[in-house]
Amino acid sequence: MPFKKTPQKFSAAIKTVEIGTGDRKIVLGGESVMPLYSFDGPIENAPKVGVEIVDTGYADAPEGLKAFYAGCDTMAEQAKKAAAMEGADFLCLRFESADPNGADTPVEDCVAAAKEVADSVDLPLVIMGCKNNEKDAQLFEKCAEALAGKNILVLAAKEENYKGVGAAAGLAYNQKVGAESSVDINLAKQLNILITQLGVSGDSIVMNPGTATAGYGFEYVVSTLERIRLAALGQNDTTLQMPIITPVASETWGVKESVTEEADIPEWGDRETRGIDMEVATAAAVLAAGSNGVILRHPQSVATVSRLIRELM
Amino acid sequence: MATLFERVFKGSDEMVERAVKSLEEVSARYSDDTAVAFPDTAYYLPCIYAMTGEKVTNVGELKNIMGWIQSQMTREKKTHDIFTSGIGTACAAEVIEACKYVDGQTPYDHAPLWGHCTDAEVRELGVPLVTGDIPGFVVLIGSAPSDEEAVATVKSYQTKSIFVFLVGGIIDQVTRMGVQTGFNVRLVPEGYDLWAVSHVISVAVRAALIFGAITPGDYDGIREYTFKRVNAMVNAYEPVDDMTVACGAGAISYGFPVVTNDDNDMWRVPMSLIVQPDTTKFVETSLEARRIKLKVTNVDIPVNYANAFEGEIIRRGDMQIEADGSRKDCLELVRTRELPEVEDHKITLIGPDFDEFEVGAKINLATIVEVAGKKMQTDFESVFERKFHAYINCIEGVMHTGQRDMIRIRVSKSAYEAGFRAKHLGEVLYAKVKGEFDAVVDKCQVTVVTDPEKVTALRKEANEVFDKRDARLLSLTDETVDQFYTCIMCQAFSPSHVCIVTPERLGLCGAVSWLDAKATNELDPSGPCQVVPKTGVIDENLGKWEAVNEAVAKYSQGALDNISLYSIMEDPMTSCGCFECICGIEPFSNGVVIVNREHTGMTPLGMTFSEMASMTGGGVQTPGFMGHGKHFIASKKFMKAEGGVQRIVWLPKALKDQVADKLNATAKELYGIEDFTSMIGDETVAEDPETLVEFLSGVGHPALGLDPLM
Repeated sequence: MPFKKTPQKFSAAIKTVEIGTGDRKIVLGGESVMPLYSFDGPIENAPKVGVEIVDTGYADAPEGLKAFYAGCDTMAEQAKKAAAMEGADFLCLRFESADPNGADTPVEDCVAAAKEVADSVDLPLVIMGCKNNEKDAQLFEKCAEALAGKNILVLAAKEENYKGVGAAAGLAYNQKVGAESSVDINLAKQLNILITQLGVSGDSIVMNPGTATAGYGFEYVVSTLERIRLAALGQNDTTLQMPIITPVASETWGVKESVTEEADIPEWGDRETRGIDMEVATAAAVLAAGSNGVILRHPQSVATVSRLIRELM
Repeated sequence: MATLFERVFKGSDEMVERAVKSLEEVSARYSDDTAVAFPDTAYYLPCIYAMTGEKVTNVGELKNIMGWIQSQMTREKKTHDIFTSGIGTACAAEVIEACKYVDGQTPYDHAPLWGHCTDAEVRELGVPLVTGDIPGFVVLIGSAPSDEEAVATVKSYQTKSIFVFLVGGIIDQVTRMGVQTGFNVRLVPEGYDLWAVSHVISVAVRAALIFGAITPGDYDGIREYTFKRVNAMVNAYEPVDDMTVACGAGAISYGFPVVTNDDNDMWRVPMSLIVQPDTTKFVETSLEARRIKLKVTNVDIPVNYANAFEGEIIRRGDMQIEADGSRKDCLELVRTRELPEVEDHKITLIGPDFDEFEVGAKINLATIVEVAGKKMQTDFESVFERKFHAYINCIEGVMHTGQRDMIRIRVSKSAYEAGFRAKHLGEVLYAKVKGEFDAVVDKCQVTVVTDPEKVTALRKEANEVFDKRDARLLSLTDETVDQFYTCIMCQAFSPSHVCIVTPERLGLCGAVSWLDAKATNELDPSGPCQVVPKTGVIDENLGKWEAVNEAVAKYSQGALDNISLYSIMEDPMTSCGCFECICGIEPFSNGVVIVNREHTGMTPLGMTFSEMASMTGGGVQTPGFMGHGKHFIASKKFMKAEGGVQRIVWLPKALKDQVADKLNATAKELYGIEDFTSMIGDETVAEDPETLVEFLSGVGHPALGLDPLM
């Protein structure tokens, strides 16, 4: 029997959200097919790859990554390096040191660093916080103010602080708002509704419905992303049609496969290779499940994943 | 006596006249192309730009806009004319103020007068306004009766995080009293002249333009936004002249209530123009009129408060005092009151405080929480009350058990020594009830009673309330309500499972009754419990409704199309995995076996609870198996389609004892069977079907004579 191709057609589509300005701006979403199913219909905006720059530096990083940023003292210098990476579509500044339970870097210092980055590169910017809800809300508000007009994405508003983050980034300074929930379609949906009710337009929201490293309860992630996409496309659920972005690096570089030194478990082999493998495997999996953008750390991961996307489109 | 129309019209004419005069003075000195602009705003003259979409940038354009302002002064005696004249007045006031800024002048030096607020300041104020961290802002116009009162009113607003603008004599009053002013302390003196109030309106309309993305010139859109989202209020001290009345009309048109103590020729408009002769009550009256609820952020007690203390046990030896409902009269109660009957955050102690009792004393104690709110319903009382246990237990050094009039509260010596007293129970309950249920509770006050005679009397009253509530619960049936609720709280684990919660069928976890679901829906409208209208009946006996099927299809994301609420055989309700009990058919006896999670032994089905659970969970329909809550066992809707509770042939003994009273009552009412539970087998009678059937035949169990289940 001859093969009969039956494309899976959906009348609904994922919303498009632009981040950044000028020639380098990126567009997330817009497709009305399942993730990477370019054989079912056109995917005009291929998934994007972002480079994560952490403000705590690379002292514990594997040698290759350390070498890549060698000689860079500031986030701005690192950003310039990262912007030149093969396959980098956008940059993500993660202010881990802002955590009040850690170095507690003042908001002003973070904002100054972000501003310096914005002045030295023309790639779209995503701002990540330190996972402390109050501090992040302040940080996002001030970054949104300082980078007004740059069309940044703040990652992210959560149920605990969505009002402050949404009002500042989404309303006062017209930036893009990330909506972060923890691997639960209903919470993702509820947060989108709440942020929309605040007055933020649905076209200014990007979802981060949560992730894990491949192998770490990852089937929950896959199932959640897939169900969000099926509800968005199959049931035309407008409250779930926001594009999805997944910060992969901040998850994968913390698991034992990525941190254990070769000296401790020689049979596992080179640490850097393991770290890259974890990052690439997780990124590929979330892209296949529904992500429109991934945030990675290692230059080799960025190159690999962007090539993967190119080949599949 | 002048009518409200006459006062507004006269006042707005006066304002326009002054605007014309200001313009004439400006025209005499400046050419038409001289720049007119407020500093640091992208919204031109914001009041005018918002209402007309006109971008006034120079003297010539400023003159032109007077034509539009005058066109707003329609004089037919209709409410509409009052509103347009009021907004026209605000815009005319803005013209007067704009004249001061002609040619780059800086009329205000921020020491202390502020004048125009920049866009950055509006954004800075706007974010906390949206989040509710600043619940609203108020403009105080005129002079308070005394300097002291002026400061007291301002401080009262400030402690409630309300942003305060000042216009007129009150500026000098607070300055004389040495009160610090400025944007950073949320107390901004605008100017001495009434028209400076336009700078406050300017903040409100820019909030609509910036945060609401309303198009400039969308007259009704701006008003709708300010009405719905900008919590502003006006307080005008006597004497209130016509021009102030006209400005007030403008404020009301934007949705901001005006409170005044001037009753001379003043026309009361409910919730909009309010005469409050007692100026010390301006704050309360204003908040109520604008329906502003204050956020409670901390629990004000001398000991720690955290979930970590919930399981803390206070031993007899460590106990300072004890309220023991089994020995002395004690109670806790939530009552719904009308809004004016409740004074928010009032904590009252009636009777001696903890330090007036001997160490180890057994005391009488009643804690009565009175709540009021536009959306409050008496059905929520018991939902709040049930939380008291957790609220009080989270206090370090305080233990709580029981509910209603069978409570026990122990306060430890260390908590007492740290300063914990009776009123602190009130503080905790106030903070938690207000904080957690702010969607329905607008005001809350707590009375703690330790006076023995009073508590005894209160206990009688409380029992009447409890009796009424129980009667209401009994009268709540699937037939008497017109809506059910979904519950999808456990979809994180069981993605396609949906519970339909009805008065006679609580959630299968046992934790969500119909009242809980109703309260959850009110408190968290986009949350897990959504309304399912009881419409489109398909089969009442099976418990099938079109609307229920639609809800199930929607919330299971298409995994299920239909369910029967009252059948275990035909499209039974699915289960997540957190059911309290599982019910499965027992073919030999033609009945069903129910087993609860706690029972680890074998059942006559040849399966344990865990083995049955593996067939029942996961959001799939398995005819013949069903997960449910314990309370459902005695429900008249329990597998009603197959004959109801008379099908129950086996229950673990502990569970049987637990549900016996209610189950027997149901069986008596439905079938006239006395002591039905004595006919039901348990693990002491049989753990295999043959012995069970033998037992059932012996006692003449009704299931044996019913139609075959399969």
